[in-house]
Amino acid sequence: MSQTDEYRFQVNLGGMIDILANHLYSSPRVFIREVLQNATDAITARKELRKVAAESNVLQEDKALEDTASESNDYEGKVIVELSGSGEHQVLMIQDNGIGLSEEDIHRFLSIIGQSSKKGADLLASETSFIGRFGIGLLSCFMVSDEIVVLTRSVKEGISMEWRGKPDGTYTIRRLETELPVGTQIYLRCKPGSEFYYEPAQVEESLFYYGALLPYPVMLSVDGETKRVNLPSTSWMQDPDQLRSRRSEVLDLGYRLMGERFSDFIPLRTTSGRTGGIAFILPRSVNLNSKRLHRVYLKHMLVSDKAENVLPEWAFFIKSLIWTDELQPTASREYFYENEQLDDVRSELGTCIREELLRMAQYEPDRLQHWIRLHELSMKALAVEDDEFLRIMYRWFSFESTFGRRELKELIQEADGRPLHYTSTVDEYRQITHVAAAQSMLVINGGYIYDSDILEKLHWIDPNLQTERLSPEEVSLSFTGLTQEERESYYGVLRVMDAALQPMRCRAELKRFEPVSLPVLYTISQDALTLRSMENTVEETTSLFSNVLDSLKAGVQQNSGYSTLYFNLNNPVVARILEATDTQMVTAATEMMYVNALMMGHYPMNRSELGLMNRSVLHFINWGLGNGQNA
Amino acid sequence: MEDTIYELMEQAQDLPGGAAKLAILEEAVRLADTSGLKELAYEIRGEIVDCAIFNGYPLKSLIAFSWQLGQFDQNPEEYDADELLWNYKWILGKVCSFSNISKTQIEDLAEDMRRRYAEYGYNERPYYYYKFRIAMDMGELDEARRYLDTFRSVERDSMSDCEACEQSQMVRFYYLTGEDEQALAVAKPILSGRMKCAEVPHVTLSQVLLPLYRQGEVDEAKENHRKGYRLIRDERDFLKTIAEHIEYLAIADPIQGIEVVERHLHMALDYESGLEQMYFYATMVSLLQKLDTSGEKRLIRLPASLEWAREDRTLTEIIAYFRPLAESAAADFDRRNGNTFYSDWIGKIVQTA
Repeated sequence: MSQTDEYRFQVNLGGMIDILANHLYSSPRVFIREVLQNATDAITARKELRKVAAESNVLQEDKALEDTASESNDYEGKVIVELSGSGEHQVLMIQDNGIGLSEEDIHRFLSIIGQSSKKGADLLASETSFIGRFGIGLLSCFMVSDEIVVLTRSVKEGISMEWRGKPDGTYTIRRLETELPVGTQIYLRCKPGSEFYYEPAQVEESLFYYGALLPYPVMLSVDGETKRVNLPSTSWMQDPDQLRSRRSEVLDLGYRLMGERFSDFIPLRTTSGRTGGIAFILPRSVNLNSKRLHRVYLKHMLVSDKAENVLPEWAFFIKSLIWTDELQPTASREYFYENEQLDDVRSELGTCIREELLRMAQYEPDRLQHWIRLHELSMKALAVEDDEFLRIMYRWFSFESTFGRRELKELIQEADGRPLHYTSTVDEYRQITHVAAAQSMLVINGGYIYDSDILEKLHWIDPNLQTERLSPEEVSLSFTGLTQEERESYYGVLRVMDAALQPMRCRAELKRFEPVSLPVLYTISQDALTLRSMENTVEETTSLFSNVLDSLKAGVQQNSGYSTLYFNLNNPVVARILEATDTQMVTAATEMMYVNALMMGHYPMNRSELGLMNRSVLHFINWGLGNGQNA
Repeated sequence: MEDTIYELMEQAQDLPGGAAKLAILEEAVRLADTSGLKELAYEIRGEIVDCAIFNGYPLKSLIAFSWQLGQFDQNPEEYDADELLWNYKWILGKVCSFSNISKTQIEDLAEDMRRRYAEYGYNERPYYYYKFRIAMDMGELDEARRYLDTFRSVERDSMSDCEACEQSQMVRFYYLTGEDEQALAVAKPILSGRMKCAEVPHVTLSQVLLPLYRQGEVDEAKENHRKGYRLIRDERDFLKTIAEHIEYLAIADPIQGIEVVERHLHMALDYESGLEQMYFYATMVSLLQKLDTSGEKRLIRLPASLEWAREDRTLTEIIAYFRPLAESAAADFDRRNGNTFYSDWIGKIVQTA
């Protein structure tokens, strides 16, 4: 006694399916995710029901369970996917032993489909009830099938139902004579052009991709052969710390799920236990700008393998596998909503990673050193943010210094209680490095990203670690000054030099320094450097902008001071200049030395400096020829 | 030499925007200049303009842009006009932050941009929109109100700022005038996430905090502070926005504000433009005063780059050090703008001794 009724959707289902296929889902293969999600939701709902019943000590399911004697009291969910037929007659069947649908449920989910056409793609994000998700998820199957058949029996009613739907919006519902097992079966017949999605290898891969962590068997049956697709046991998800003793297994899992061979990992778990994971340490250096793509499972189902914001930003040496039941994915399912909960989870997971690194520092320094060398930049970034982390790690960070690239602990030894000197920019470092190196003076290049931040913070973590920022002007302190006698004898010539350099906002200083081969050293402060680039730009730009720059120069000039040209008394050429008595000669030589220093330091010259060079060169040629004639 | 330059450019590409990247680009541009490679120097300066503007180095950006504009005028068919015209707006958005640039110069720049836009067939919406922004920067709110209506009456073209940016500037206007209800109403599409871009909602979230707080929506203000601060806390470019968060914390939660002040003071110390620096110092002083009067015996960590810093500086000393800096900067801007807008504002948020 079967009865068939014709109904009609009150929506343009074709349009809905188009929306789903082209706007919401990235590829038709997500229909596997949707049917698997339905099965999972149904199993979860049945578990809930049993829990409630057990608590109230009335097992309402008893009646229903009499029919399926195979089921004992400890119910376990199970999903079976079966592929049969070939080519265009391929059929995919997915069966679960979940809660099943009653007649009323079916009508409800259909009405939800009706409403959802008005809400469009937002529905997936907003609709969280089991029925609602079921309805929408099912529609995705029309991407690969021209008919969906659902056979179901609800644990509550025990009536077996059949629903058949077509993409044109027609469907039928009827009661079946036969007794189905409790749960739901969905049959999909391959639509021409969708054969690819029915291939056993494809189906298996998709099932694993989305459902690897499901806590009950997901079976795939092809040609009478049945095997389990998902991971055989996921009990460790309750307590990720167990994984420490199962290294090779975990690394294999990393390869299967993330497609990359890792060699090390850190178990993650929040205190509530509602979020956990495995943080794999990337075996390669990562570009600071690269996206951090984590793989996240929500209630055991894959939400995204591109989730970016589940770990703190500094953790970019980590690619993680995260499972959670407390975060809310956005509609695109590639991010989680930025809310307080995510903030808390993120910082707790960050704490796990940090504590593990601290543990390594204490017990496995070699292991830590290996990872620091690979991911130094991100570790430094973290250290700048986090005093505690800096305290444990700073010894292993390496810096460029006049003693070569060395770890900070060695540099501290070298400094031997004296303050560590560092420059705050790469330019400043380059200006003084050869001088400092020649005098075996230790100077650290703090110009690279995070380095000077770290050096500046050192005394916060240990008051004995004194650091001092060195500007090029201060290098002169380590030069040997002049004796009183020399000072007096060179006073006149120094005045001439100063006068020659004055137009370039530069002053002369006499010192003795190593290396002897270096006649002069040009030092310029950051502000003076800005001023230089402004002055050079004034020559190149429009009159309006050169006006503006001139106004701005006033502000910079106040604090830029002069650049300094140090003359090295140890250098024979300089010594000869100083012995010269001809004021014109000294002026020309000073100017030559100045432009020479600019050229050596790769400073672009402005017009007046180029003119200066011309003049001095001509001067020297003249003088040279004159000398030749006299000889 | 060219190989070295390309190598440097590649290095720069891999770095996140910031001081390190700029240092490498500047090195590259120096080499290009000394080698006389004009086109390459132009290209690198384009990178500098971009990197500097979005990472809080307005002066570097301005210098590099000036050079490009000079080159472009000599050789207009050699370079991309659209990119240059687009970047002109960024420059106009920053010029008011330097008190040394006179009012006349700023007006000339706006007219220059207007002329160039017309020359290349773009309409006047960006011109009026930037006149609106400049009027706000200069504290001329009545004038700003007039331009607000003018710019919206011209339709958008491809040189217009994005909708989210324009909307955020309107929020800013009502935030400045203290029209809280309008500010919140105009901010709606931004807060709901419908309008967004690279700088929105970042700059807006900080400007709804006080309006919300004043309307008694304390929890919502707190939530927006959390959201907004997270977006910008590592971004030097948003120093003024950070200052707006501090201004709110001074009223809502001074203790929590300490961390924000400590975290960003080093950015303010060597900030290239005075306006943003003044905002930071002023809001910081207002927050520290709150703590000081509450008898809070806290030490503030001062960055090592501040010569005056010692570990035992008291709140009172720090206030006494920074307050005159903020006030004299405000006086400079007021003198340039021909009004008392910034001094009045500081008078409002800072307690008179």
